[in-house]
Amino acid sequence: MSETKDSIIIKGRTVYPGKVEGEALVSKMPLMGWGNVNVKQGFTVERDHPLYEVPLKDKILVFPYVRGSGGFVMYGHTKRYGVNPLAMLCTEPISYGIFAAMTMKQPMMTDFDIDPVKIIETGDYIIVNADEGFIEIVKNV
Amino acid sequence: MYLNDEEKSILDGKQGYLAAKCMEFLVAYGEAAGAECLVDIDGTVDIHPGGNPTWVPDYRIPEEEIYEAAKRGEQFKVPTFSNKPTPGFIIDGCEGCGTWPSGDQEYCQQRLKDMEPLFQMGMIPTFSCDYYLTASYWPTAGQHCSWGESSAIPWLNAVLGAKGNFDGCFQTAYLGKVPKYDLHLDENRAATVLVTCETKLERDMDYDLFGWAVSEKLGMKVPAFMGIGKPTVSQLVKMNSSLATGGQVRMYHIPGVTPEASSLEEAFKGKKPQEEMNITDEDLRRVYNLVNYASDENVEFVFLGCPHYNIVEVQQAARHLYGRKVKADLWVMTSPQVYSMAEKMGLKDIIEKSGAHFMSGTCAGELRGELYPYSVMAMDATKQNYYMSGHLYPRKPQIWYGSQKECIDAAVTRKWRGEWR
Repeated sequence: MSETKDSIIIKGRTVYPGKVEGEALVSKMPLMGWGNVNVKQGFTVERDHPLYEVPLKDKILVFPYVRGSGGFVMYGHTKRYGVNPLAMLCTEPISYGIFAAMTMKQPMMTDFDIDPVKIIETGDYIIVNADEGFIEIVKNV
Repeated sequence: MYLNDEEKSILDGKQGYLAAKCMEFLVAYGEAAGAECLVDIDGTVDIHPGGNPTWVPDYRIPEEEIYEAAKRGEQFKVPTFSNKPTPGFIIDGCEGCGTWPSGDQEYCQQRLKDMEPLFQMGMIPTFSCDYYLTASYWPTAGQHCSWGESSAIPWLNAVLGAKGNFDGCFQTAYLGKVPKYDLHLDENRAATVLVTCETKLERDMDYDLFGWAVSEKLGMKVPAFMGIGKPTVSQLVKMNSSLATGGQVRMYHIPGVTPEASSLEEAFKGKKPQEEMNITDEDLRRVYNLVNYASDENVEFVFLGCPHYNIVEVQQAARHLYGRKVKADLWVMTSPQVYSMAEKMGLKDIIEKSGAHFMSGTCAGELRGELYPYSVMAMDATKQNYYMSGHLYPRKPQIWYGSQKECIDAAVTRKWRGEWR
Protein backbone atom coordinates (compact mmCIF):
# COMPACT_ATOMS: atom_id res chain seq x y z
CA MET A 1 0.00 0.00 0.00
CA SER A 2 1.18 3.51 -0.65
CA GLU A 3 -0.58 6.59 0.55
CA THR A 4 -0.38 10.22 -0.47
CA LYS A 5 -2.42 13.09 0.91
CA ASP A 6 -5.18 12.51 -1.62
CA SER A 7 -5.10 8.89 -2.58
CA ILE A 8 -4.33 5.36 -1.46
CA ILE A 9 -2.93 2.71 -3.79
CA ILE A 10 -3.41 -0.97 -2.98
CA LYS A 11 -2.24 -4.00 -4.90
CA GLY A 12 -4.33 -7.01 -5.76
CA ARG A 13 -4.60 -9.98 -8.07
CA THR A 14 -6.24 -9.54 -11.46
CA VAL A 15 -9.11 -11.85 -12.31
CA TYR A 16 -10.08 -10.01 -15.48
CA PRO A 17 -7.84 -7.30 -16.98
CA GLY A 18 -8.61 -3.75 -18.04
CA LYS A 19 -8.43 -0.14 -16.86
CA VAL A 20 -11.48 1.81 -15.76
CA GLU A 21 -12.32 4.51 -13.27
CA GLY A 22 -15.47 5.60 -11.53
CA GLU A 23 -17.43 5.93 -8.34
CA ALA A 24 -17.45 3.11 -5.79
CA LEU A 25 -20.61 1.35 -4.71
CA VAL A 26 -19.82 -0.75 -1.66
CA SER A 27 -21.88 -3.67 -0.43
CA LYS A 28 -20.74 -4.74 3.04
CA MET A 29 -23.17 -7.62 2.69
CA PRO A 30 -22.25 -10.34 0.19
CA LEU A 31 -24.17 -10.45 -3.08
CA MET A 32 -26.13 -13.44 -4.36
CA GLY A 33 -27.49 -14.50 -7.72
CA TRP A 34 -30.10 -16.95 -9.08
CA GLY A 35 -33.44 -15.23 -8.48
CA ASN A 36 -31.90 -12.38 -6.59
CA VAL A 37 -30.26 -10.50 -9.46
CA ASN A 38 -32.31 -8.51 -11.94
CA VAL A 39 -30.29 -8.81 -15.12
CA LYS A 40 -32.25 -6.36 -17.27
CA GLN A 41 -32.24 -3.57 -14.71
CA GLY A 42 -28.83 -4.31 -13.25
CA PHE A 43 -29.43 -4.51 -9.51
CA THR A 44 -29.98 -6.94 -6.70
CA VAL A 45 -33.54 -7.81 -5.78
CA GLU A 46 -32.57 -9.68 -2.64
CA ARG A 47 -35.08 -8.85 0.09
CA ASP A 48 -33.67 -6.53 2.75
CA HIS A 49 -30.33 -6.12 0.97
CA PRO A 50 -28.86 -2.64 1.52
CA LEU A 51 -28.40 -2.34 -2.28
CA TYR A 52 -31.95 -3.50 -3.12
CA GLU A 53 -32.85 -1.88 -6.47
CA VAL A 54 -29.71 0.32 -6.38
CA PRO A 55 -28.38 0.50 -9.97
CA LEU A 56 -24.91 -0.96 -10.48
CA LYS A 57 -24.50 0.67 -13.89
CA ASP A 58 -21.15 2.42 -14.31
CA LYS A 59 -20.16 1.81 -10.66
CA ILE A 60 -17.05 0.18 -9.26
CA LEU A 61 -18.82 -2.58 -7.35
CA VAL A 62 -17.06 -3.57 -4.12
CA PHE A 63 -18.23 -6.58 -2.10
CA PRO A 64 -16.79 -9.18 0.28
CA TYR A 65 -17.76 -12.44 -1.42
CA VAL A 66 -20.49 -14.19 -3.37
CA ARG A 67 -22.98 -16.08 -1.28
CA GLY A 68 -25.38 -18.72 -2.50
CA SER A 69 -26.10 -20.08 -5.92
CA GLY A 70 -23.98 -20.31 -9.05
CA GLY A 71 -26.71 -18.16 -10.58
CA PHE A 72 -24.42 -15.27 -9.59
CA VAL A 73 -23.08 -15.53 -13.15
CA MET A 74 -26.19 -13.61 -14.14
CA TYR A 75 -24.46 -10.46 -12.86
CA GLY A 76 -22.18 -10.95 -15.87
CA HIS A 77 -25.17 -10.89 -18.19
CA THR A 78 -26.13 -7.34 -17.08
CA LYS A 79 -23.66 -6.27 -19.81
CA ARG A 80 -26.13 -7.46 -22.46
CA TYR A 81 -28.53 -4.79 -21.28
CA GLY A 82 -25.93 -2.07 -20.76
CA VAL A 83 -26.58 -1.92 -17.01
CA ASN A 84 -23.36 -3.53 -15.79
CA PRO A 85 -20.88 -2.24 -13.23
CA LEU A 86 -17.60 -0.93 -14.64
CA ALA A 87 -15.52 -3.24 -12.46
CA MET A 88 -15.85 -5.67 -9.56
CA LEU A 89 -13.51 -5.65 -6.56
CA CYS A 90 -13.97 -8.33 -3.92
CA THR A 91 -12.29 -9.77 -0.86
CA GLU A 92 -12.57 -13.37 -2.09
CA PRO A 93 -14.08 -14.51 -5.36
CA ILE A 94 -15.50 -17.93 -6.06
CA SER A 95 -15.59 -19.67 -9.43
CA TYR A 96 -18.89 -18.09 -10.37
CA GLY A 97 -17.66 -14.63 -9.43
CA ILE A 98 -14.88 -15.33 -11.93
CA PHE A 99 -17.39 -16.59 -14.53
CA ALA A 100 -19.42 -13.40 -14.03
CA ALA A 101 -16.34 -11.26 -14.75
CA MET A 102 -15.43 -13.37 -17.81
CA THR A 103 -19.01 -12.98 -19.04
CA MET A 104 -19.09 -9.23 -18.39
CA LYS A 105 -15.58 -8.69 -19.79
CA GLN A 106 -14.99 -5.88 -17.32
CA PRO A 107 -12.06 -5.69 -14.89
CA MET A 108 -12.22 -7.74 -11.71
CA MET A 109 -9.63 -7.85 -8.92
CA THR A 110 -9.29 -9.72 -5.64
CA ASP A 111 -6.72 -10.83 -3.01
CA PHE A 112 -5.75 -7.23 -2.14
CA ASP A 113 -3.12 -6.45 0.43
CA ILE A 114 -5.89 -4.64 2.36
CA ASP A 115 -9.52 -5.74 2.33
CA PRO A 116 -11.24 -3.37 -0.14
CA VAL A 117 -14.57 -3.61 1.72
CA LYS A 118 -12.90 -2.16 4.82
CA ILE A 119 -11.07 0.69 3.13
CA ILE A 120 -13.41 1.81 0.33
CA GLU A 121 -16.67 3.67 0.97
CA THR A 122 -19.52 4.33 -1.40
CA GLY A 123 -18.81 7.57 -3.23
CA ASP A 124 -15.00 7.21 -3.23
CA TYR A 125 -13.44 7.61 -6.67
CA ILE A 126 -11.58 4.48 -7.78
CA ILE A 127 -9.03 4.08 -10.55
CA VAL A 128 -8.86 0.38 -11.37
CA ASN A 129 -5.74 -0.73 -13.18
CA ALA A 130 -6.23 -4.48 -13.47
CA ASP A 131 -3.61 -4.57 -16.25
CA GLU A 132 -0.91 -3.69 -13.75
CA GLY A 133 -2.56 -5.12 -10.64
CA PHE A 134 -3.46 -2.14 -8.47
CA ILE A 135 -6.27 0.24 -7.61
CA GLU A 136 -6.08 3.86 -6.55
CA ILE A 137 -8.67 5.10 -4.07
CA VAL A 138 -9.46 8.79 -3.95
CA LYS A 139 -11.46 9.34 -0.78
CA ASN A 140 -14.66 11.31 -1.07
CA VAL A 141 -14.06 14.03 1.48
CA MET B 1 -0.76 -21.45 -15.89
CA TYR B 2 1.48 -24.43 -16.55
CA LEU B 3 0.31 -26.85 -19.25
CA ASN B 4 1.94 -30.21 -19.86
CA ASP B 5 2.76 -31.40 -23.38
CA GLU B 6 -0.52 -33.23 -23.80
CA GLU B 7 -2.50 -30.15 -22.70
CA LYS B 8 -0.48 -27.89 -24.99
CA SER B 9 -1.17 -30.18 -27.93
CA ILE B 10 -4.91 -30.08 -27.12
CA LEU B 11 -4.78 -26.28 -27.05
CA ASP B 12 -2.92 -26.26 -30.36
CA GLY B 13 -5.75 -28.19 -31.96
CA LYS B 14 -3.89 -31.47 -32.43
CA GLN B 15 -6.80 -33.34 -30.84
CA GLY B 16 -9.47 -31.56 -32.84
CA TYR B 17 -11.40 -28.34 -32.85
CA LEU B 18 -13.78 -29.19 -30.00
CA ALA B 19 -10.98 -30.25 -27.62
CA ALA B 20 -9.11 -27.02 -28.40
CA LYS B 21 -12.24 -24.92 -27.72
CA CYS B 22 -12.74 -26.68 -24.38
CA MET B 23 -9.08 -26.21 -23.46
CA GLU B 24 -9.27 -22.48 -24.29
CA PHE B 25 -11.95 -22.16 -21.63
CA LEU B 26 -10.03 -24.14 -19.01
CA VAL B 27 -6.92 -22.01 -19.60
CA ALA B 28 -8.82 -18.71 -19.40
CA TYR B 29 -10.70 -19.83 -16.29
CA GLY B 30 -7.61 -21.31 -14.63
CA GLU B 31 -5.59 -18.15 -15.20
CA ALA B 32 -8.40 -15.93 -13.89
CA ALA B 33 -8.62 -18.16 -10.81
CA GLY B 34 -4.88 -18.07 -10.19
CA ALA B 35 -4.51 -21.84 -10.67
CA GLU B 36 -0.98 -23.11 -11.24
CA CYS B 37 -1.99 -26.05 -13.40
CA LEU B 38 -4.80 -28.38 -14.41
CA VAL B 39 -5.60 -31.66 -12.68
CA ASP B 40 -6.97 -34.85 -14.23
CA ILE B 41 -10.43 -35.62 -12.92
CA ASP B 42 -10.44 -39.11 -11.42
CA GLY B 43 -13.87 -38.63 -9.81
CA THR B 44 -17.02 -37.29 -11.46
CA VAL B 45 -18.53 -34.26 -13.21
CA ASP B 46 -22.04 -32.89 -13.17
CA ILE B 47 -23.56 -30.42 -15.58
CA HIS B 48 -26.81 -28.48 -15.86
CA PRO B 49 -28.17 -29.53 -19.24
CA GLY B 50 -31.09 -27.90 -20.94
CA GLY B 51 -29.73 -24.67 -22.31
CA ASN B 52 -26.03 -24.94 -22.89
CA PRO B 53 -23.88 -26.48 -20.15
CA THR B 54 -21.22 -23.76 -20.31
CA TRP B 55 -20.62 -20.97 -17.77
CA VAL B 56 -19.18 -18.21 -19.99
CA PRO B 57 -20.88 -17.26 -23.29
CA ASP B 58 -17.62 -16.55 -25.15
CA TYR B 59 -16.62 -20.17 -24.66
CA ARG B 60 -20.00 -21.64 -25.46
CA ILE B 61 -19.83 -24.83 -27.52
CA PRO B 62 -22.40 -24.53 -30.32
CA GLU B 63 -25.17 -27.16 -30.25
CA GLU B 64 -24.22 -28.36 -33.72
CA GLU B 65 -20.67 -29.08 -32.48
CA ILE B 66 -22.06 -31.20 -29.64
CA TYR B 67 -24.39 -32.95 -32.07
CA GLU B 68 -21.53 -33.72 -34.45
CA ALA B 69 -19.28 -34.96 -31.65
CA ALA B 70 -22.03 -37.30 -30.45
CA LYS B 71 -22.52 -38.53 -34.01
CA ARG B 72 -18.79 -39.29 -34.25
CA GLY B 73 -19.21 -41.44 -31.14
CA GLU B 74 -17.18 -39.19 -28.86
CA GLN B 75 -17.64 -39.73 -25.12
CA PHE B 76 -17.16 -37.65 -21.99
CA LYS B 77 -13.80 -38.56 -20.46
CA VAL B 78 -15.24 -39.12 -16.97
CA PRO B 79 -18.59 -40.22 -15.46
CA THR B 80 -20.86 -37.23 -16.04
CA PHE B 81 -24.19 -36.75 -14.30
CA SER B 82 -27.08 -34.50 -15.11
CA ASN B 83 -27.99 -31.95 -12.51
CA LYS B 84 -31.33 -30.14 -12.65
CA PRO B 85 -31.94 -28.84 -16.20
CA THR B 86 -31.72 -25.09 -16.67
CA PRO B 87 -34.06 -23.52 -17.68
CA GLY B 88 -36.21 -25.92 -15.70
CA PHE B 89 -38.84 -28.31 -16.89
CA ILE B 90 -40.70 -31.16 -15.23
CA ILE B 91 -39.45 -34.70 -15.85
CA ASP B 92 -42.32 -36.60 -14.19
CA GLY B 93 -45.78 -35.48 -13.16
CA CYS B 94 -46.24 -32.31 -15.17
CA GLU B 95 -49.90 -33.05 -15.95
CA GLY B 96 -52.30 -30.48 -14.58
CA CYS B 97 -49.78 -28.66 -12.41
CA GLY B 98 -50.88 -25.31 -13.84
CA THR B 99 -47.62 -24.05 -15.35
CA TRP B 100 -46.88 -23.35 -18.96
CA PRO B 101 -45.00 -24.53 -20.98
CA SER B 102 -43.66 -26.96 -18.34
CA GLY B 103 -47.18 -28.29 -17.68
CA ASP B 104 -47.29 -29.56 -21.25
CA GLN B 105 -46.04 -33.11 -21.69
CA GLU B 106 -45.11 -32.60 -25.33
CA TYR B 107 -42.92 -29.65 -24.41
CA CYS B 108 -41.16 -31.66 -21.68
CA GLN B 109 -40.64 -34.61 -24.07
CA GLN B 110 -39.10 -32.25 -26.62
CA ARG B 111 -36.71 -30.80 -24.01
CA LEU B 112 -35.57 -34.34 -23.21
CA LYS B 113 -35.16 -35.14 -26.88
CA ASP B 114 -32.99 -32.04 -27.34
CA MET B 115 -30.54 -33.56 -24.85
CA GLU B 116 -29.99 -36.74 -26.87
CA PRO B 117 -26.47 -35.76 -28.03
CA LEU B 118 -25.45 -35.33 -24.36
CA PHE B 119 -26.90 -38.76 -23.50
CA GLN B 120 -25.01 -40.27 -26.43
CA MET B 121 -21.82 -38.74 -25.07
CA GLY B 122 -22.48 -40.42 -21.73
CA MET B 123 -24.44 -37.94 -19.60
CA ILE B 124 -26.38 -39.94 -17.01
CA PRO B 125 -30.00 -38.73 -16.71
CA THR B 126 -30.18 -38.18 -12.94
CA PHE B 127 -31.80 -34.71 -13.38
CA SER B 128 -31.57 -33.53 -9.83
CA CYS B 129 -29.87 -30.95 -7.61
CA ASP B 130 -29.14 -33.85 -5.19
CA TYR B 131 -28.42 -36.41 -7.90
CA TYR B 132 -25.54 -37.58 -5.72
CA LEU B 133 -28.13 -39.42 -3.59
CA THR B 134 -29.32 -41.57 -6.48
CA ALA B 135 -26.29 -41.58 -8.79
CA SER B 136 -25.24 -45.15 -7.84
CA TYR B 137 -21.65 -44.04 -8.42
CA TRP B 138 -19.74 -41.59 -6.23
CA PRO B 139 -16.27 -40.17 -6.20
CA THR B 140 -14.25 -41.64 -3.34
CA ALA B 141 -12.25 -39.62 -0.81
CA GLY B 142 -9.43 -37.62 -2.36
CA GLN B 143 -10.62 -37.87 -5.96
CA HIS B 144 -10.73 -34.69 -8.03
CA CYS B 145 -14.12 -33.66 -9.39
CA SER B 146 -15.93 -30.83 -11.12
CA TRP B 147 -19.49 -30.34 -9.87
CA GLY B 148 -21.90 -27.52 -10.62
CA GLU B 149 -24.51 -26.98 -7.92
CA SER B 150 -23.90 -24.86 -4.83
CA SER B 151 -25.88 -27.11 -2.44
CA ALA B 152 -23.95 -30.17 -3.69
CA ILE B 153 -20.43 -28.76 -3.24
CA PRO B 154 -20.37 -29.37 0.56
CA TRP B 155 -21.53 -32.94 -0.10
CA LEU B 156 -18.62 -33.43 -2.46
CA ASN B 157 -15.96 -31.92 -0.20
CA ALA B 158 -17.17 -32.34 3.37
CA VAL B 159 -19.33 -35.48 3.27
CA LEU B 160 -17.48 -37.54 0.64
CA GLY B 161 -14.02 -36.09 1.18
CA ALA B 162 -13.57 -35.75 -2.58
CA LYS B 163 -12.11 -32.52 -3.95
CA GLY B 164 -13.67 -29.89 -6.14
CA ASN B 165 -14.91 -26.39 -6.80
CA PHE B 166 -18.12 -25.29 -8.44
CA ASP B 167 -17.24 -25.55 -12.13
CA GLY B 168 -18.95 -28.60 -13.66
CA CYS B 169 -19.56 -27.94 -17.35
CA PHE B 170 -19.29 -29.45 -20.82
CA GLN B 171 -15.59 -28.56 -21.02
CA THR B 172 -14.54 -30.29 -17.78
CA ALA B 173 -16.58 -33.38 -18.72
CA TYR B 174 -15.23 -33.48 -22.27
CA LEU B 175 -11.55 -33.10 -21.34
CA GLY B 176 -11.67 -34.74 -17.90
CA LYS B 177 -9.54 -31.88 -16.60
CA VAL B 178 -10.13 -28.88 -14.34
CA PRO B 179 -8.03 -25.99 -12.93
CA LYS B 180 -6.31 -27.12 -9.75
CA TYR B 181 -6.88 -24.46 -7.11
CA ASP B 182 -8.85 -23.71 -3.94
CA LEU B 183 -10.49 -26.93 -2.64
CA HIS B 184 -8.37 -29.18 -4.86
CA LEU B 185 -5.44 -28.23 -2.62
CA ASP B 186 -5.05 -29.87 0.81
CA GLU B 187 -3.94 -26.64 2.49
CA ASN B 188 -7.31 -25.01 1.78
CA ARG B 189 -9.33 -27.88 3.27
CA ALA B 190 -8.29 -27.71 6.92
CA ALA B 191 -10.65 -26.09 9.42
CA THR B 192 -9.76 -22.60 10.59
CA VAL B 193 -12.84 -21.83 12.69
CA LEU B 194 -14.16 -23.84 15.62
CA VAL B 195 -17.96 -23.60 15.76
CA THR B 196 -19.78 -24.85 18.84
CA CYS B 197 -23.50 -25.29 18.59
CA GLU B 198 -25.03 -24.47 21.96
CA THR B 199 -28.56 -25.43 21.06
CA LYS B 200 -29.75 -28.95 20.43
CA LEU B 201 -30.40 -29.67 16.76
CA GLU B 202 -33.20 -32.22 16.46
CA ARG B 203 -35.67 -31.46 13.70
CA ASP B 204 -34.63 -31.40 10.02
CA MET B 205 -35.56 -27.73 10.15
CA ASP B 206 -33.00 -27.08 12.92
CA TYR B 207 -30.18 -28.18 10.61
CA ASP B 208 -31.53 -26.02 7.81
CA LEU B 209 -31.57 -22.98 10.13
CA PHE B 210 -28.18 -23.85 11.62
CA GLY B 211 -26.58 -24.00 8.15
CA TRP B 212 -27.81 -20.52 7.34
CA ALA B 213 -26.96 -18.99 10.72
CA VAL B 214 -23.43 -20.30 10.74
CA SER B 215 -22.57 -19.64 7.10
CA GLU B 216 -23.74 -16.05 7.38
CA LYS B 217 -21.02 -15.58 9.99
CA LEU B 218 -18.38 -17.71 8.25
CA GLY B 219 -18.55 -16.51 4.66
CA MET B 220 -16.13 -18.80 2.79
CA LYS B 221 -14.15 -20.07 5.79
CA VAL B 222 -13.77 -23.78 6.63
CA PRO B 223 -15.31 -24.66 10.02
CA ALA B 224 -15.24 -27.65 12.33
CA PHE B 225 -18.66 -28.19 13.89
CA MET B 226 -18.99 -29.37 17.48
CA GLY B 227 -22.27 -30.12 19.22
CA ILE B 228 -24.39 -30.81 16.15
CA GLY B 229 -24.97 -34.50 16.92
CA LYS B 230 -25.10 -37.09 14.17
CA PRO B 231 -27.20 -35.60 11.39
CA THR B 232 -29.27 -37.87 9.14
CA VAL B 233 -28.87 -37.74 5.36
CA SER B 234 -31.98 -35.53 5.10
CA GLN B 235 -30.49 -33.18 7.68
CA LEU B 236 -27.07 -33.05 6.00
CA VAL B 237 -28.61 -32.29 2.62
CA LYS B 238 -30.70 -29.49 4.11
CA MET B 239 -27.75 -28.10 6.07
CA ASN B 240 -25.50 -28.17 2.99
CA SER B 241 -28.12 -26.30 1.02
CA SER B 242 -28.41 -23.50 3.57
CA LEU B 243 -24.62 -23.41 4.14
CA ALA B 244 -24.49 -22.38 0.48
CA THR B 245 -27.27 -19.80 0.79
CA GLY B 246 -26.74 -17.85 4.01
CA GLY B 247 -23.02 -17.73 3.17
CA GLN B 248 -20.61 -19.80 1.12
CA VAL B 249 -19.37 -22.75 3.18
CA ARG B 250 -18.15 -25.39 0.72
CA MET B 251 -16.08 -27.46 3.10
CA TYR B 252 -16.51 -28.35 6.78
CA HIS B 253 -15.59 -31.03 9.26
CA ILE B 254 -17.69 -32.85 11.85
CA PRO B 255 -15.09 -34.69 13.92
CA GLY B 256 -15.93 -38.38 14.02
CA VAL B 257 -18.46 -38.08 11.19
CA THR B 258 -16.86 -36.57 8.06
CA PRO B 259 -13.94 -38.43 6.46
CA GLU B 260 -11.16 -35.86 6.77
CA ALA B 261 -11.49 -35.47 10.54
CA SER B 262 -11.53 -38.45 12.85
CA SER B 263 -10.83 -35.97 15.66
CA LEU B 264 -11.00 -32.23 16.29
CA GLU B 265 -7.20 -32.00 16.03
CA GLU B 266 -7.26 -33.63 12.63
CA ALA B 267 -9.89 -31.16 11.39
CA PHE B 268 -7.41 -28.35 12.07
CA LYS B 269 -4.50 -30.41 10.69
CA GLY B 270 -2.63 -29.91 13.94
CA LYS B 271 -2.97 -26.12 13.97
CA LYS B 272 -4.91 -23.99 16.45
CA PRO B 273 -8.28 -22.50 15.43
CA GLN B 274 -7.89 -18.95 14.12
CA GLU B 275 -11.36 -18.12 15.37
CA GLU B 276 -14.03 -19.59 17.62
CA MET B 277 -17.74 -18.95 17.59
CA ASN B 278 -20.93 -20.22 19.19
CA ILE B 279 -24.30 -20.70 17.56
CA THR B 280 -27.25 -20.28 19.89
CA ASP B 281 -30.96 -20.87 19.77
CA GLU B 282 -31.32 -17.11 19.25
CA ASP B 283 -29.24 -17.35 16.02
CA LEU B 284 -31.59 -20.03 14.68
CA ARG B 285 -34.62 -18.01 15.72
CA ARG B 286 -33.33 -14.95 13.85
CA VAL B 287 -33.02 -16.96 10.59
CA TYR B 288 -36.49 -18.43 11.21
CA ASN B 289 -37.88 -14.90 11.40
CA LEU B 290 -35.92 -13.83 8.30
CA VAL B 291 -37.48 -16.56 6.18
CA ASN B 292 -41.00 -16.09 7.52
CA TYR B 293 -41.98 -13.06 5.51
CA ALA B 294 -45.74 -13.39 5.54
CA SER B 295 -48.67 -12.11 7.53
CA ASP B 296 -51.65 -13.48 5.59
CA GLU B 297 -52.47 -16.93 6.98
CA ASN B 298 -54.39 -18.01 3.87
CA VAL B 299 -51.86 -20.20 2.09
CA GLU B 300 -52.44 -20.78 -1.65
CA PHE B 301 -49.38 -22.80 -2.63
CA VAL B 302 -47.02 -25.15 -0.79
CA PHE B 303 -43.72 -26.29 -2.25
CA LEU B 304 -41.80 -29.23 -0.76
CA GLY B 305 -38.63 -30.76 -2.11
CA CYS B 306 -35.70 -28.32 -1.96
CA PRO B 307 -33.27 -29.97 -2.33
CA HIS B 308 -35.22 -32.75 -4.07
CA TYR B 309 -36.80 -35.03 -1.50
CA ASN B 310 -35.14 -38.37 -0.83
CA ILE B 311 -37.30 -41.49 -0.49
CA VAL B 312 -37.63 -41.17 3.29
CA GLU B 313 -38.84 -37.58 3.00
CA VAL B 314 -41.37 -38.68 0.35
CA GLN B 315 -42.50 -41.45 2.69
CA GLN B 316 -42.97 -38.95 5.52
CA ALA B 317 -44.92 -36.61 3.25
CA ALA B 318 -47.15 -39.48 2.11
CA ARG B 319 -47.83 -40.45 5.74
CA HIS B 320 -48.93 -36.90 6.59
CA LEU B 321 -51.12 -36.78 3.52
CA TYR B 322 -52.67 -40.24 3.84
CA GLY B 323 -56.46 -40.06 3.72
CA ARG B 324 -56.49 -36.24 3.63
CA LYS B 325 -57.42 -33.76 0.91
CA VAL B 326 -55.46 -30.61 0.15
CA LYS B 327 -57.24 -27.28 -0.29
CA ALA B 328 -54.16 -25.32 -1.36
CA ASP B 329 -51.96 -26.34 -4.31
CA LEU B 330 -49.20 -28.64 -3.10
CA TRP B 331 -46.14 -29.77 -5.06
CA VAL B 332 -43.98 -32.58 -3.70
CA MET B 333 -40.79 -32.53 -5.76
CA THR B 334 -38.15 -35.24 -6.02
CA SER B 335 -35.58 -36.75 -8.38
CA PRO B 336 -36.71 -39.04 -11.23
CA GLN B 337 -35.14 -42.09 -9.55
CA VAL B 338 -36.90 -41.50 -6.22
CA TYR B 339 -40.11 -40.78 -8.16
CA SER B 340 -39.93 -44.22 -9.68
CA MET B 341 -39.29 -45.92 -6.32
CA ALA B 342 -42.17 -44.00 -4.72
CA GLU B 343 -44.44 -45.10 -7.55
CA LYS B 344 -43.62 -48.76 -6.91
CA MET B 345 -44.26 -48.30 -3.19
CA GLY B 346 -47.69 -46.74 -3.71
CA LEU B 347 -46.54 -43.40 -2.25
CA LYS B 348 -47.25 -41.58 -5.50
CA ASP B 349 -50.87 -42.76 -5.30
CA ILE B 350 -51.27 -41.61 -1.71
CA ILE B 351 -49.87 -38.17 -2.53
CA GLU B 352 -51.97 -37.80 -5.69
CA LYS B 353 -55.16 -39.02 -4.01
CA SER B 354 -54.85 -36.09 -1.62
CA GLY B 355 -55.00 -33.78 -4.64
CA ALA B 356 -51.31 -32.85 -4.39
CA HIS B 357 -48.90 -33.00 -7.35
CA PHE B 358 -46.01 -35.45 -7.18
CA MET B 359 -43.27 -34.36 -9.57
CA SER B 360 -39.60 -34.69 -10.43
CA GLY B 361 -36.69 -32.88 -12.01
CA THR B 362 -37.13 -29.20 -11.22
CA CYS B 363 -38.36 -26.78 -8.55
CA ALA B 364 -40.68 -23.82 -8.23
CA GLY B 365 -37.73 -21.42 -8.22
CA GLU B 366 -36.29 -22.87 -11.42
CA LEU B 367 -39.66 -22.41 -13.18
CA ARG B 368 -39.78 -18.75 -12.09
CA GLY B 369 -42.29 -16.77 -14.10
CA GLU B 370 -44.07 -19.95 -15.17
CA LEU B 371 -45.44 -20.35 -11.69
CA TYR B 372 -49.08 -19.36 -11.18
CA PRO B 373 -49.05 -15.90 -9.53
CA TYR B 374 -49.75 -17.05 -5.99
CA SER B 375 -49.64 -14.39 -3.28
CA VAL B 376 -49.14 -16.55 -0.19
CA MET B 377 -46.92 -19.64 -0.15
CA ALA B 378 -45.30 -22.00 2.33
CA MET B 379 -42.03 -23.96 2.08
CA ASP B 380 -39.83 -26.15 4.26
CA ALA B 381 -36.45 -25.02 2.87
CA THR B 382 -34.70 -21.74 3.62
CA LYS B 383 -33.03 -21.74 0.21
CA GLN B 384 -36.17 -22.03 -1.93
CA ASN B 385 -38.01 -19.69 0.39
CA TYR B 386 -35.40 -16.91 0.33
CA TYR B 387 -34.82 -16.87 -3.42
CA MET B 388 -38.49 -17.00 -4.31
CA SER B 389 -39.15 -13.30 -3.72
CA GLY B 390 -36.30 -12.49 -6.13
CA HIS B 391 -37.55 -14.96 -8.74
CA LEU B 392 -40.98 -13.32 -8.68
CA TYR B 393 -39.76 -9.69 -8.61
CA PRO B 394 -41.38 -7.14 -8.86
CA ARG B 395 -44.27 -9.01 -7.24
CA LYS B 396 -44.01 -9.27 -3.50
CA PRO B 397 -45.16 -12.74 -2.49
CA GLN B 398 -45.62 -13.62 1.15
CA ILE B 399 -43.81 -16.80 2.12
CA TRP B 400 -44.07 -18.88 5.28
CA TYR B 401 -41.37 -21.24 6.45
CA GLY B 402 -41.78 -24.27 8.67
CA SER B 403 -41.45 -28.02 9.01
CA GLN B 404 -42.69 -30.48 6.41
CA LYS B 405 -45.63 -31.35 8.66
CA GLU B 406 -46.59 -27.69 9.17
CA CYS B 407 -46.42 -27.12 5.42
CA ILE B 408 -48.62 -30.14 4.69
CA ASP B 409 -51.12 -29.12 7.36
CA ALA B 410 -51.22 -25.69 5.71
CA ALA B 411 -51.93 -27.31 2.32
CA VAL B 412 -54.78 -29.34 3.86
CA THR B 413 -56.39 -26.54 5.88
CA ARG B 414 -55.28 -23.62 3.70
CA LYS B 415 -54.26 -21.90 6.94
CA TRP B 416 -50.72 -21.32 8.21
CA ARG B 417 -50.35 -22.49 11.80
CA GLY B 418 -46.60 -22.97 11.97
CA GLU B 419 -44.79 -22.08 15.16
CA TRP B 420 -41.16 -21.63 16.21
CA ARG B 421 -41.19 -24.47 18.77
